[in-house]
Amino acid sequence: MAHQTHAYHMVDPSPWPLTGATAALLLTSGLAMWFHYNSTTLMALGLLTTLMTMMQWWRDIVRESTFQGHHTMPVQKGLRYGMILFITSEVFFFIGFFWAFYHSSLAPTPELGGNWPPTGIHPLNPFEVPLLNTAVLLASGVTITWAHHSLMAANRNQSIQALTITVTLGLYFTALQAMEYYEAPFTIADGVYGSTFFVATGFHGLHVIIGSTFLIVCLLRLIKFHFTTAHHFGFEAAAWYGHFVDVVWLFLYISIYWWG
Amino acid sequence: MLRNLLALRQISQRTISTASRRQVKNRVPEMQKIFQEDNGIPVHLKGGVIDGLLYRTTMALTVFGTCYAVYELIVAAMPKKVK
Repeated sequence: MAHQTHAYHMVDPSPWPLTGATAALLLTSGLAMWFHYNSTTLMALGLLTTLMTMMQWWRDIVRESTFQGHHTMPVQKGLRYGMILFITSEVFFFIGFFWAFYHSSLAPTPELGGNWPPTGIHPLNPFEVPLLNTAVLLASGVTITWAHHSLMAANRNQSIQALTITVTLGLYFTALQAMEYYEAPFTIADGVYGSTFFVATGFHGLHVIIGSTFLIVCLLRLIKFHFTTAHHFGFEAAAWYGHFVDVVWLFLYISIYWWG
Repeated sequence: MLRNLLALRQISQRTISTASRRQVKNRVPEMQKIFQEDNGIPVHLKGGVIDGLLYRTTMALTVFGTCYAVYELIVAAMPKKVK
């Protein structure tokens, strides 16, 4: 038989799973070297190889789909399941940090002064920059939906404009949050308040950066005509991820900034 | 005054829309031709010479990194003798 008689994608042999796994090894052992031996070489190598693996692996997926046409309907369905399952796993990741926060804040120990926020901690005013950040992320949810509908309606200029605004809002959030981190009157070392605050919001911020990067790649692909009105799963996946990041922020805002 | 304003609006709209059309050409059909060529090259190398360079660099860094990690592990497992 010269050609396949099924709709699934039998991928070409690829080195990226191997380099990716090795990169993870270098990252983890690099962390150990940094923590215990004050050396960052291994970790830097790990970061570099991780980045290179990601870029080439995802570049290959774009080639396989947009240029080679391997992403048939069943393949796309599998990718949708995959993205949904991945986001679900990330939800559970965050649930852990919310668990930690509520564990410490619902029954504050005597060492904290028996109250929450602990004695001596001056929390950030939730109605200042955090409220702006909430508005920024909610707005990005609106603009990405606008971009999606424009894309489906074959309105190129509007879809590019809307996605650009979405990316800008994501970067704006990151900049505002970085400034808040710098100006905050407490640090990660300030007891369990500092730990729960910076670990939860920190991981969230990392996910905003990841989401923004994903959206920037989508913007570039959109400009380069990769998406069609009916087939643009990469864009949809980025949109789902963006909405997920937004929802996590809303929970963070309500629990840690407002109630906490 | 109003006519000038309207004219300005028309010119800027036309400039912006034609600028975006002029700037980026649709290269997808070209790329489709390159990547669908029946030459047996796997997708991670099919884009050209740069693919090979990137691949070799990534692999070199990975192999070197693994050796270095194992070396550091061995060093860390043998405590230095304190005199």
